[in-house]
Amino acid sequence: MPNQPEAKNWPRWFDPRSRSLGTFGFILNRITALALTLYLILHLIALGQLAQGPAAYDGFIALVKNPLFKLGELLVIAAGVIHGLNGIRIALNSFGIGVRRQRSMFVILMALAVLCIAFFGWKMFMEG
Amino acid sequence: MEGSLTPKRLEGSGRWLIKIIAGLFIVVFLGIHFVVNHLVAPGGLLTYADVVAYYQNPVIVVMEVAFLVVVITHAFLGVRSILLDLNPTAWVLRAANVLLVIVGAAAVIYGAWLALTIANVKI
Repeated sequence: MPNQPEAKNWPRWFDPRSRSLGTFGFILNRITALALTLYLILHLIALGQLAQGPAAYDGFIALVKNPLFKLGELLVIAAGVIHGLNGIRIALNSFGIGVRRQRSMFVILMALAVLCIAFFGWKMFMEG
Repeated sequence: MEGSLTPKRLEGSGRWLIKIIAGLFIVVFLGIHFVVNHLVAPGGLLTYADVVAYYQNPVIVVMEVAFLVVVITHAFLGVRSILLDLNPTAWVLRAANVLLVIVGAAAVIYGAWLALTIANVKI
């Protein structure tokens, strides 16, 4: 399947073969962006419980303390950390900073992302 | 490395720059949001009383509404960028522009109303 920017070729986005590190960075940026936008809308709708008073909101909070919701929350944090750190690289490179070192920047920032996700996971599941 | 390093032809340098700058603001706001909501709060989540107490400070209300505006701007410009990856027709792009502006404005108005509602709860 040719890798042309055509709507009908969207399954190619999910094919990991013959990809460079930069393309993985690009795909990670796009997938996390879509996931975070969906979460943003759901988050705003869920926060509507605040307008219905303490019983509605605290009942909702009790529900999301369920481990399954916590796992979903950790995935959101993971998407946010990956998108944010990868985004910092893109912003710096966009202004001509670190363009020659963008591969090593990507690897270092993603390693930092893994550490951040592990830290939040530990805080949420081991302490929370 | 290729990637979204340069503005696309249809994205426009202005919208591209707004997206990048909004993204940098989000890193700061989201850092505060993560710390307050997931590290400081017992059990990682604020109760209703905690949220109301937090919003009694007008600086927090302004910061959270500004955060919402920046997030919505970045997210919806980003969705438009992804749509541009698919080479949409002019009609589809126009329709998407209108839809994104309407949904984005509605989200900001709703979020600001919610923040002000919570800020006006008496404790």
